[in-house]
Amino acid sequence: MMPDIAQTGQAAGEWLPQAEVPAVMLDKVSKWYGNIVGMNDISLAISGGVTGLLGPNGAGKSTLFKILAGKLKPSQGTVRLFGIDPWKNTAPFARIGYVSENDALYDWMTALEFVTTLARLYGYTRDEARVKAERVLEFVDLKDVMHKEIGKFSKGMRQRVKIAHALVNDPELIILDEPLQGCDPLARTTIMNVIREFGAMGRTVIVSSHILEEIERITEQIVILNHGRLLALGNVHAIRDMLDAHPHSIALSTDRPRELGKAFLDHKEVFGVHFPEEGKLIIRTHNLGALHADLPQLITDSGFSVTAIDNPDDNLESILTYLTGGGD
Amino acid sequence: MAEKPRPLHDKVWSKLDRKATAILELTLRQYRTRLSTWAVLSVGVILVLITVLFYIEAMNSEIEAVDNDGDSVDSDGDGYPDGQENLLGTSMNNANSHPGLFDPPIPPDSAEDWINEDGYDFSSAKLGTSQGYDDDGDCRVKIGEVGWSSWVDENRNNISCDYFFEMRGFDLKVVADPNVDEDPDEDAYFKETLHRSFVLGFGKIGFVFVLGIFVPLFLATGLIRDEIADGTLHYLVTKPISRAEILLYRLLGYIALVWPYFIALAVLTGIITGFMGPSDGFFRFQDLLVWFGIALAACLLSLAYAALFMTMGTIHKYGMVAAIVFGVWEFAMAMLSVFEPEATVSRLSISHWGMVIVDGFSNMAWPDSQYLIALGESTSQYTDSPSGERIYFDEMPGTEAFSTFFHTTNLTGNPLQDVLIASGVLISMVIIILVIAQLVFKNKEID
Repeated sequence: MMPDIAQTGQAAGEWLPQAEVPAVMLDKVSKWYGNIVGMNDISLAISGGVTGLLGPNGAGKSTLFKILAGKLKPSQGTVRLFGIDPWKNTAPFARIGYVSENDALYDWMTALEFVTTLARLYGYTRDEARVKAERVLEFVDLKDVMHKEIGKFSKGMRQRVKIAHALVNDPELIILDEPLQGCDPLARTTIMNVIREFGAMGRTVIVSSHILEEIERITEQIVILNHGRLLALGNVHAIRDMLDAHPHSIALSTDRPRELGKAFLDHKEVFGVHFPEEGKLIIRTHNLGALHADLPQLITDSGFSVTAIDNPDDNLESILTYLTGGGD
Repeated sequence: MAEKPRPLHDKVWSKLDRKATAILELTLRQYRTRLSTWAVLSVGVILVLITVLFYIEAMNSEIEAVDNDGDSVDSDGDGYPDGQENLLGTSMNNANSHPGLFDPPIPPDSAEDWINEDGYDFSSAKLGTSQGYDDDGDCRVKIGEVGWSSWVDENRNNISCDYFFEMRGFDLKVVADPNVDEDPDEDAYFKETLHRSFVLGFGKIGFVFVLGIFVPLFLATGLIRDEIADGTLHYLVTKPISRAEILLYRLLGYIALVWPYFIALAVLTGIITGFMGPSDGFFRFQDLLVWFGIALAACLLSLAYAALFMTMGTIHKYGMVAAIVFGVWEFAMAMLSVFEPEATVSRLSISHWGMVIVDGFSNMAWPDSQYLIALGESTSQYTDSPSGERIYFDEMPGTEAFSTFFHTTNLTGNPLQDVLIASGVLISMVIIILVIAQLVFKNKEID
């Protein structure tokens, strides 16, 4: 259940002249608010590339991010950013950019002033900060409006200002909490491109979302959280393989669904069929691989025509639905 | 990424400085965008100006001159006031004895010349030494007798017609020969003491305490709290900067706004009252020292309150409630410090130490204040009511107000030492509060 997806490529325990510390390391971290559990015994190491943090609302994504950002103190366990505890020491933030889920900004500032002011907290001079701010604002496609007050910006522009501010120190680790929430399609595309570009540059990017197609379009490497627990981590395909032993569905489009369904019921790997709508047939199986192998023969033998074969489980949403116990 | 390495001095101090100025500027600009800032500062200016208007009104009113020694009266009706007759040795009860019969004859003075004719004469007063000059000569010429033979030395210091000051317990008393400095100018005395009372009373209560506590209550409580409430604090805390630094730089931003404000207000009030107040020259320069003390006390007091209120706001979003409860205590202790400075319980408050600073500077600027009060208390005073009834007071007008607001330094006896100690206490308080504040803030979870 807990495969390590650290991408350093180094075997544990091997002596290295300059050991790479993982950007993010959580060891048995729990966080509870009174009786409410926000995070439950999560161990995780992330380094390099884009990682999608997936989970429904209230799964603990923001709690995890707030712990990483040093805003919350873990109730138990160890958190390390580049080997340093972010609750006790703010030094790692020199190498980190953090985008909160909170939409608040200093609305009375222009985008350029906002990014410049916060850039100076990294220790840049006024001029350095301004040059860097202009560069990141150009990077997120806001150069034209950078002298406008943030208060007049659309939601998508505000998100991009927040992202620009997080990139201004050229960070090695970027943490983005729901960066696509409420964005228009254009902003969405820009933000996704920015994230992918940073991932391609070898930086560590962690993006959270509760919308799966967003994550799918950004990365294959995912971490799934629900009710504060780590449900799965790895890439989409690895997780799907892990689920192969569990019930799966195959959807067929045919003009004679009932007759075809009867033919499939005889197969030893099929344990159920149902008909969600006219001209559709869904087959339930425990062994997707075996059934896929036999599928062409079974269809030919039945003599009915099949216009489409679809695997609805090959989609993050159904994985999540299954993992989070929402369906079976 | 590949930047040229900076020299060490550039790394540590200039980076600190860059972060400090960034947060300082942010804080100042936040103040500028908030309507509440302008409202609070304007209310302060308006209150000061209204109070100054009352001061100007009082300075333009005239106190009726009283003939304290009654020598403006012409008892025998010969046209010469009693004082003149007494001085020149003619009988004030015999109409046939007057200076008009001298050769050459001396013309009579007008009665007004013998009102307020013997004012206070003392300079850079020292305890126990001879003071005072009998301007109208009614001590030097023993009443009812002719000639200069009878020198009066009732205070037994071997000097005729003088007085000296003596400490009796905590009070300064005048030990005087009769009829020395016995008919001072009520209007001049009243205005001088009223002016000093105003500077001290308004400075301590209005300026140091009221502005010193209300300005930080409105402008400092939210320094961290508002950032938490607005959800913008993470922009500051998720940076390579310690939370203690954030607190400190936020407070520096507050200082950058409020200290110039207090100083400007003190200078403005000091200039207005300096020109309007009674003075030998055109301006009361010695007052500037007191206004400096008032500005210093207001700045330090408001800084201590700001640190405290900021901490209260950091601990809880309703920290202002605790701040108000605390404000009641501070108010009580401030009043105690102003009206009962001997009470030591007020030393447990912050406001007391602001008052000590003002007292210290007032003692440096006006070293004669105690003596002025002692003289005012020793001069008997009366007024004639419209019905002809004579009403006696046991002191000069203005003495009571002045003795209420003026305090001798009761900490060390040396005004400068008092100021240094009080400033040290206030700065230590700020440091202690900030140490507590950063402990609280470091362990504060930000949602």
